[in-house]
Amino acid sequence: MNILLAAILKVIGVLMFVGLNAYILIWGERKVSGHIQRRIGPIRVGGPSGIMQSAADILKLMSKEDFVPSGADWWLWVLAPVVSVAPAVLVYLVLPIGRTLVLRNLNVGLVFFSSVSSFTLLGIFMAGWGSNNKYSLLGAMRAGAQLFSYEIPLILSTIGVVMLAGSLTLQRIVAAQTHYGWFIFPQIVGFIVFFVASVAELNRTPFDLAEAESELVAGYFTEYSGMRWAMFAIAEYSNLFTLSALGVTLFLGGWHGPLLPGWVWFVLKSYFLVFVGIWIRWTLPRVRIDQLMDLGWKFLFPVSVLNLLGTGLYLMVR
Amino acid sequence: MALLGRIWNTAKSMFVGHSITLREMFTTPITVFYPEEKPPMERGSRSVPVLKVNEGTGLLNCVSCGLCERSCPPSCIKIEQALDAKGDRQSWPEAFELNLSHCMVCNLCVEACPFDALEMADVVELCSYQVQDLIFDKQQLAEIWKTSRSLRVANGERL
Amino acid sequence: MSDSGRPVRVEAGPALAPHLPTSNDAGVVPTIGPDGERKLMTINLGPQHPSTHGVLRLIVTVDGEQIVHVVPDIGYLHRNFEKIVERWSYPGIVPFSDRNDYIAAITNEVAVALAIEKLAGIEVPPRAVHLRVLFSELQRILSHILFYGTYGLDLGAFTPFLYAFREREWGYTLMEKATGARMLYAYNRVGGLRNDVSDEWLADLAKFLDFVEHKAMPEYMGLLIDNEIFRERTIGVGKLTQEQAIAWGAAGPVLRATGIPWDLRKNAPYLCYDQFEFDVPVGTNGDVYDSTMVRMREILESVRIIRQVLKTLPNGPVLAKVRPTLSPAAGDYYSRVEGPRGEVGVFLISDGTTKPYRLKWRAPTFCHLQLTPLMAAGGKIADLIAVVGSYDVIMGECDR
Ligand code: SF4
Ligand code: SF4
Repeated sequence: MNILLAAILKVIGVLMFVGLNAYILIWGERKVSGHIQRRIGPIRVGGPSGIMQSAADILKLMSKEDFVPSGADWWLWVLAPVVSVAPAVLVYLVLPIGRTLVLRNLNVGLVFFSSVSSFTLLGIFMAGWGSNNKYSLLGAMRAGAQLFSYEIPLILSTIGVVMLAGSLTLQRIVAAQTHYGWFIFPQIVGFIVFFVASVAELNRTPFDLAEAESELVAGYFTEYSGMRWAMFAIAEYSNLFTLSALGVTLFLGGWHGPLLPGWVWFVLKSYFLVFVGIWIRWTLPRVRIDQLMDLGWKFLFPVSVLNLLGTGLYLMVR
Repeated sequence: MALLGRIWNTAKSMFVGHSITLREMFTTPITVFYPEEKPPMERGSRSVPVLKVNEGTGLLNCVSCGLCERSCPPSCIKIEQALDAKGDRQSWPEAFELNLSHCMVCNLCVEACPFDALEMADVVELCSYQVQDLIFDKQQLAEIWKTSRSLRVANGERL
Repeated sequence: MSDSGRPVRVEAGPALAPHLPTSNDAGVVPTIGPDGERKLMTINLGPQHPSTHGVLRLIVTVDGEQIVHVVPDIGYLHRNFEKIVERWSYPGIVPFSDRNDYIAAITNEVAVALAIEKLAGIEVPPRAVHLRVLFSELQRILSHILFYGTYGLDLGAFTPFLYAFREREWGYTLMEKATGARMLYAYNRVGGLRNDVSDEWLADLAKFLDFVEHKAMPEYMGLLIDNEIFRERTIGVGKLTQEQAIAWGAAGPVLRATGIPWDLRKNAPYLCYDQFEFDVPVGTNGDVYDSTMVRMREILESVRIIRQVLKTLPNGPVLAKVRPTLSPAAGDYYSRVEGPRGEVGVFLISDGTTKPYRLKWRAPTFCHLQLTPLMAAGGKIADLIAVVGSYDVIMGECDR
C-alpha cells in the first residue's frame, strides 16, 4: 500500500515538475530571446515580467478547436503527441537531482536515459506520417535522419565519462567527480561533442531542420493545434531540460557545489546550460541537411571515437 | 590543415556572433509600448487630406472650385457645389467627400488647391472595420483638422 | 503595333481565364514515372508560406530533399498598375509607382519622373537632381538593410532581422522627416521634388551614415555574414555563369555577383551620378554568397556617394515650373535606373494627350524569378529558399 502511494506521489511529483519546468522554460525562452533582440518579451499578461503569459497561452490553447486534418491517419495522429511526451517524462526517473534525491537509482541509468530519449523520434515520425501533409512528412524524414545520426556521437561522448567513472549509474558518476573534479576538464572534447549533439537531438537552431520555419512551415507539427501542439512544446522543453541535466550530471559535477543544497546546484547548473542553448538558438542561422549529416558522421563521430581512444590510453598508462 | 582552419573560423565566428547577442541582451530594449506610449509623428507627416477652417470666420476655406477633385489620381474626392434657391452656384461646397480607402496620401490635391483650403493631417489611428467609415464628409474632415496638427507642404518649399 | 505585330497596348477584350498551373502543365515535371510508380513529389511552396516574401507560389518538384524542378507562379499581387495609369494624367503616375517596389519607393518615382520629364522636355533644377541622388542612395541603404534582415530569416536566424530594424527605423524616421511618409513617399514630382530638406535634416543624415558605417555594418558582418554557418549555406549555392545571367536578363547584385561590373549608375549615368566617385562591387562566383556580399558592400558605397552629395549640394529651388495639365509630345522613351534589386525600367509611350498611351514597367524581380529553376535545381529545399531570398524578392514590383 505504502509502495503504491509512494509511486503515485512520485509520478504526480514528476508530472508537476515537468509541467512547471516547461512553463518556466517557455516563458524564459521568450524573455531571453526578447532581450537578445532588444525587445522586452511578454510583459502584458501579469505577474512579475509577464510570468503569467504561459498560463494565458495554455488557456488559449485549451479553448482551441480540436482540428484533425482530412486524410490524417487518426490513430497515429492522435497518439503522436502522447508518444513524444512519454519519454520526456520517463527520463526523470534516473536523473540524480540531489545526493539522495533520485527516483530510481538504476545501475544502467545512462543506458536507460539514452534508450528512452530516442523514443522521441517515434512520436515525431508518427506525427509526420499521420498528418497527411508533405511538409510534415519532410520534417519527419529530416528528424529521423538527424536524430539517428546524432544519437551515436551523443552516446560515444558519454562513454568517455563512463570509463573515467567506472560506472553506468548516474549517481556514481556524480560521486566520482568528487575525486577527479568535474569531468568537463579531462573530457572537454567529449563535452563539446555532447553539447553539439544534444542541440541537434533537441531539434533546436542551428539544427532545427525538422521544424525549419522558413522551409517547412513548422515541420512535423504543421497540422497540430491546441493542446496537441502544446504537448509537443512540453516535450520539447522537457527534453531541453533533461538533456541539459544529463550534461550537468556527466560533465559539470551534478549536484556538487558549496553552501547551497545539492538539488539547487543541480537545477541552477541545468538552467545555465539551458540558457546557453537558448542563446545559441537566437544567434545562429540554420545548417542544411547534408551539412548536418556531414557534421555528425564526418566530424563528431570520428572526434568522439578519438576521444574514447585517448581516454582509454590514459586509463591504461595511469 | 584545411580542417583546422575551418574549425578555427567556425569557433571565431561563433564567438563574435555570440558576443554581439550577449552584449545586446544587456542593453536597454527599444520597445515602445504602443497604445500607451505613442511615438511622435514628425512634423509634416501625412495621413489624410483635411479641410482647413478659417480662423476668423469659422467657415471652410474651400470655394468648391473642383481643382483638387480633378487632380486626384484615384478620384477619391467628390465635391458638390452649393446652389442657392435660384440655382446659382455658390462659393462653398454643399458636400465634400473624401474616400480614404482609395486615397494614396500623395499630397497632389493639397498642391492643387489655390485657396489654401486643404492640408495634410497627421492622425494615423483612423482604421475601421467598415469601408464606409473611411468615407469622410466635410464636417468630419474639418473636425480632424481642428483636433490634429496639419500642414500644407507644397511646391518645393523648405520643410 | 510593334514590329512583331502584337499590340503595344491591350484594349478591352475577352477576359483571360485565370490559369493556375497544375502538375499536368508543360514545364511541371510529372511525379509519376513511366512504370506508373510514384517517384517524385510536388510541393506547393506558397502563396502562403513563411519565406515567400509576400505572395509568391513556387511549384517545387522534389525527389526527397533534392529539387528536380521549380516553377515560379506569380500574379497573386497583381494590381493592374500598367493599365490603370493609362487612364491617369502624368503627375499622378509618380506617386502611384511607389506601390511597385514598396521597399525602394524613391527608385520607382525617379524612374517614372525621368521618363515623363524627358518626354515633356522639363529641366529639373540642380538641387533637385542632387537630392534625388541622395534619396536614391539612402533608399538603397535601407533596402539592403532590410535584405540583410529577411535573408537572415530565410536562413533560419531570427535575431538579425530585429537588429536590422534598428537602423531601418532610424532611416525611416529620417525619411518621414523629409518626405512626410515612412514607406510610400510620394516625394518626387514631375519637375523635381515636393519639398526641400532642411539643414538640420542633412546633419541628422550625416549622423545616420556614420552609425551605419561604423556601428551597424561591423555588427551585421559579425552576426550573420561572416558566420561560418552562413558561409556554408551560401557559398557555392545557386551558381550562375556570366552568360546565363546575361541571357536571362539578370541585373543588379545578382548580375554583379557573377563578376560583370554592370551598374547603370556607371554605365548609363542618369541624374548626376557621373559627378560622384564610387566603386561597383562585384563578386567572382555568381553564387548567393557573392550577391549578398555585393549588397553589403553597396551599402558602404552608397554611404560614400551620399557623403559626396552632402558636400556638393547646390542651393536653389527644387521644383521646376510645370504646367498643371501636362501633355508631352508624342514619342517614347525608356528610362532606366539602378534600383537596389537591379535595373528598374520605365518604357513610356505618349500620344501627345494628357494621358500616357502605354507604360511598361521592367521589374528586376520578375527577371530574376525566371532564374529560380536554373539556380535551385539539384540543390536542397533549403537552397531553394536561399536562392529565392537572394533575389531580394519584392512581389509588388514583380506582379505590378
Ligand atoms: S492625397 Fe492624393 S489620392 Fe488622396 S485625395 Fe489627395 S490627391 Fe487624391
Ligand atoms: S481645390 Fe481647394 S478650394 Fe478648390 S475645391 Fe478643392 S479644396 Fe476646395
